[in-house]
Amino acid sequence: MLVELTVNGESRSANVPPETTLLKMLREHLDLTGAKLGCDVGDCGTCTVIVDGVSVNSCLMLAGRADGCDVTTIEGLATADELHPLQQKFEEHGALQCGFCGPGMLISAKNLLDNNPDPSVFEVRDALAGNLCRCTGYTKIIEAVIEAGEMMGQEQANV
Amino acid sequence: MKKRGRGMACMWYPIGFTVAANPSAATVKVNTDGTATLLTGTVETGQGALTVLAQIAAETLGLATDDVHVVSGDTDVTPMDTGAIASRTTYVTGNAIVRAAEKARDILFEAAAPLLNVKPEQLEVRDRRIQVLGFPARSIAIDKVVHHSETVLGNPAIGSASYNPPTVDMDPETGQGKPFNTYVYATQIADVEVDDETGEVEILKIVAVHDCGTPINPMLVEGQIQGGISMGVGFALQEEILFEEGRQINPNLTNYIMPTSLDMPEIEVGLVDNYDPTGPFGAKGAGEPTAVPTAACIMNAIYDAVGVRITALPATAERVLAAINEKRAEDQAVAA
Repeated sequence: MLVELTVNGESRSANVPPETTLLKMLREHLDLTGAKLGCDVGDCGTCTVIVDGVSVNSCLMLAGRADGCDVTTIEGLATADELHPLQQKFEEHGALQCGFCGPGMLISAKNLLDNNPDPSVFEVRDALAGNLCRCTGYTKIIEAVIEAGEMMGQEQANV
Repeated sequence: MKKRGRGMACMWYPIGFTVAANPSAATVKVNTDGTATLLTGTVETGQGALTVLAQIAAETLGLATDDVHVVSGDTDVTPMDTGAIASRTTYVTGNAIVRAAEKARDILFEAAAPLLNVKPEQLEVRDRRIQVLGFPARSIAIDKVVHHSETVLGNPAIGSASYNPPTVDMDPETGQGKPFNTYVYATQIADVEVDDETGEVEILKIVAVHDCGTPINPMLVEGQIQGGISMGVGFALQEEILFEEGRQINPNLTNYIMPTSLDMPEIEVGLVDNYDPTGPFGAKGAGEPTAVPTAACIMNAIYDAVGVRITALPATAERVLAAINEKRAEDQAVAA
């Protein structure tokens, strides 16, 4: 079946078997390998992408269901010139260690800040609860998200 | 009713392993553009080891960390390393790198000494320059010294070295020996809240104070400690591999429960800067020991809160409630 998406602002399409998940379409048909295949049953969150403003486990969503939707993946965060504030703050804090949770963690954090630019620590914990991290204990991730929110707020104020 | 408790646990932990040899080798070369290349057989697993090892090489050579290009974990080109195991990388591999970088540096001191009219032992490295001890004005840029040493003296600045921590075999008579060359120490304290009607345990806060020698990169050490505590929290309250007839029945993240961002408490980290003269720039290590005292301090906090000793992990709500009910029955029996 033909699935047409807007991925990171660009129109993309692929002919995929109907049982293809959105994750498989992104990784194998569109060569966007940032979102990772972890548990494949919606527990770990490393496949998280934003579909029409909602963060979803792309391993659980059929590509066909995303037809016509606007999708943001980790590849859509940085520009050629600079990292996204979240990526900058993750780097500054050493918030990722092995990094396998990173693509999903950053996308969940972006979706949080898109909807709630000034979250509390609890709101950050709640938003990231679907993204498992085995390395960091989440502490530096949470600090980085809070600071990225502040940084984006300041950038907004300066515009 | 929710009851609060506080528990503490202390630990020591050895750096590197014992019984067999435990060596690391390293090669460091200084290039004519003033950068250095470090060859190490160890690997990065996300803990920041290669950053720390580059910092160690840079500090020995008077360079910036970014000046050190690290080539790691490639058996075609890198020297032997026992590996990123046993919390040994900073200490054992780091010590090999200090020794290798010192050999490269000594070649540069030999080359620079006549140019600065001093003896090699009167030189030091700082800010990408070789200078007379205490006299930054009398100095030469490292890249110029490398070039001079290579093209005029025919002595490229390169050093290879290995380090194998000295140990003493056990005396069969007394049982005494020295199995490890150094040890790290830590204390962790947990504040918990235990619901005595459901057995549910919530960890409110953990304070972790670790002596890992002089931390080479405090931010990375904090990250190791916070991560180790999350493993300890899972070990204490959630994680259990369940078997039935010899087969694991929960081989997935749906049924093998590990901590999420909502399960992790606030963590306060303290580093005790305890310089170890046998380590690279005083450092020891900070890998596995970060997870060692966590479950113990949580169990002590549960005891402080509700007076029961949990002796099988994880301390699930079911286990804690069963222990509370058992204690109540005993208390009533005594009262009667």
